Amino acid sequence: MPNTPTERVNEPPSYLLPLLQLSDSALPTGGFSHSFGMETFLERGLIDGEVSFASWLSQFVSIQLTYSDGFALRLAYEASSVDDIARVDRMIAAAALPREVREAGTKMGARMLAIAGTVAPGARLAGYAADVGSGRCAGHPAVAFGVAGRQLGVPLEELLASYLFTAVTSLTQNAIRAIPIGQDAGQRVLLGTHPRIMDAVRRIQALDADDFGITAPGLEIAQMRHERQRVRMFMS
Amino acid sequence: MTGAPAPELAVRRAAVELAGTLALTVGVRGDRCIATSQYHQGALRILRPHYLDDTSQVCYVVVNPGGGYVGGDEYEIDITVETGARLLLTTQSATKVYRTPETRAEQRTHIRLGPNASLESVPDPLIAYRGATYRQATVIEMHGSASLVMAEIVTPGWSPDGALFGYDEIRLRNEISVDGRLAVLDNLLIRPLTGAAPIDGMAFLEDYTHVGSLLVMDARVDAALLNELHELLVPLADGCKLGMSLLDGGLAMRALSHATEPLDAAIRAGIDFLRFRWHGQPRLNLRKY
Repeated sequence: MPNTPTERVNEPPSYLLPLLQLSDSALPTGGFSHSFGMETFLERGLIDGEVSFASWLSQFVSIQLTYSDGFALRLAYEASSVDDIARVDRMIAAAALPREVREAGTKMGARMLAIAGTVAPGARLAGYAADVGSGRCAGHPAVAFGVAGRQLGVPLEELLASYLFTAVTSLTQNAIRAIPIGQDAGQRVLLGTHPRIMDAVRRIQALDADDFGITAPGLEIAQMRHERQRVRMFMS
Repeated sequence: MTGAPAPELAVRRAAVELAGTLALTVGVRGDRCIATSQYHQGALRILRPHYLDDTSQVCYVVVNPGGGYVGGDEYEIDITVETGARLLLTTQSATKVYRTPETRAEQRTHIRLGPNASLESVPDPLIAYRGATYRQATVIEMHGSASLVMAEIVTPGWSPDGALFGYDEIRLRNEISVDGRLAVLDNLLIRPLTGAAPIDGMAFLEDYTHVGSLLVMDARVDAALLNELHELLVPLADGCKLGMSLLDGGLAMRALSHATEPLDAAIRAGIDFLRFRWHGQPRLNLRKY
C-alpha cells in the first residue's frame, strides 16, 4: 500500500548530507600531507605507537584544535559581517607562529573554500573566497567551515564536533601510514578522542577573546623544528 | 594592502587603583635619543638614561621597588618610540610573582613604534613562585619601517617543598600590529596543575622547566637571516630544545631548557647578532645600575 499523503515521514535535517560531505576525512583539502608537528615527535621516537600517538592527539585537540581552529570556527560562525570574517582570518594566521602551520592553513583553506563553495554555496562564503582571492584574507579551513556551516544552518556544537572529528581522523590516518599503526588501532584511537572532542566543544563555546590562539611551547617548537627535519613525509 | 582592522586595545579600568604605572616617550634630540616625556606612579620607576656605546640608542632600566608582584597587582606600562629613535629597555632585576590567592597579578603594556623607530626589550627573567597567577598582555603597534626585538624568559620559582612548578598559571600574550594590520598573535598559557594537557607532556615542557622566547619584527628579516641565526644559536643553546621560524615580517625563536643560562646565552647571541648586523653595535653589556 502506498503511504497516504497525510502520513508523517521523518527526514534528516537539510544540512546533514552537505555536512557529512564536508566532514569526509577523504575530502581533498590536502590534510593527508600535514602532521602539524606530529612528525617531529615521530622522528624523536616520542611517538612510536598507538598509545603515544593517542596521547599526542589528545593534547593537540585540547590546545591547537580548541584555542585556534575551534575558536576561529566559532567566531566565523558568529560573524555578522564580511569584516568580522576577515578579522578572524587574520587572527588565526597571526596566531600561527610556525611558518608551516601558517602555510598549511592557507593551502587547506583555499581547498576547503573551493569545495564548500560547491557543496554549500552562499553569499558569505563567496565573499570570504573573494577576500582570499584578493589577498585581503589568508584563508583557513576552520574559518571556511564555520561560514559554510552557518549558511547550512548547522547548530554550532554539531559543526564544531564535525570539524574536530574530521581533523583527528585525518591525523590518525596520517599516523597509520607514518608510524605505522594498524587500522584497528587507528579506530581505537579515534574512539578514544570522543570524550576529548566533547570536552573541547564545550570549552570552545566558553572561551574569551584573550584565549584566542593560545598554544603550548613544546607543540610550537616541534612545529618549528619540522622545517629543518631531513627526512619528511609531511609538509608540516 | 588593506587588512582587517587592528584589534581594539583593552579599555583601561580606571576604577582599579593600579599598583604601578609607567609612561615613557623616547625621541631624538640632537644626536642622541632621550625621553621626551616620562611619568611614573606607584611601584614602577625608571632609572636615568644611559648610553651603552657610541650610537644614539638610549637605555632605560625599569625598576620595581616593591620587590615583586602580588595578588591583585595591576601594572600599566606605556612606551612610545618616536620617529627614528632607538630605545633599549631592560629591568634592574627579575620580575618576581608571588602568591596571588584567589586573584592574579597583571601587567599590561602598550608600545607604539613610529617610522624607523626601534625597540629592544631585554628584561630579566620572569620568576613565578608557588601559588602565583600572572597575566602579561603586551600590545604593540608599529610602523612598517620600525624594528622590534623582544626577549622573554620564564622560570619557575622553587616551592618550599622543593617541587618545581608551584605556580598556578602564567599567561603571556603579545599582539603585534604592523601598519594597523595584526601580524603576530603570540599567546602562551602554562597551567602546570590544571592545564589542557600534562605539563610534562610533549605539547608543553617534557622534562624541561624554563621557557625562552625571542620575537623579531623587522622588514629586513628574511629566510637567509633566519638560517644564519639558526646556525649561530643552535650550538649555544646547549641542552635546550630550540625552534625558529619565519613570521609574517619577522622571526620567532622559542626554546625550552633546564636552566636560565643557556637560554639567556642563545637569546643574547641573537640580539648581539642583530645589533651588529643592523646597527654596527658591539655586544650588549647590560651592567645593572
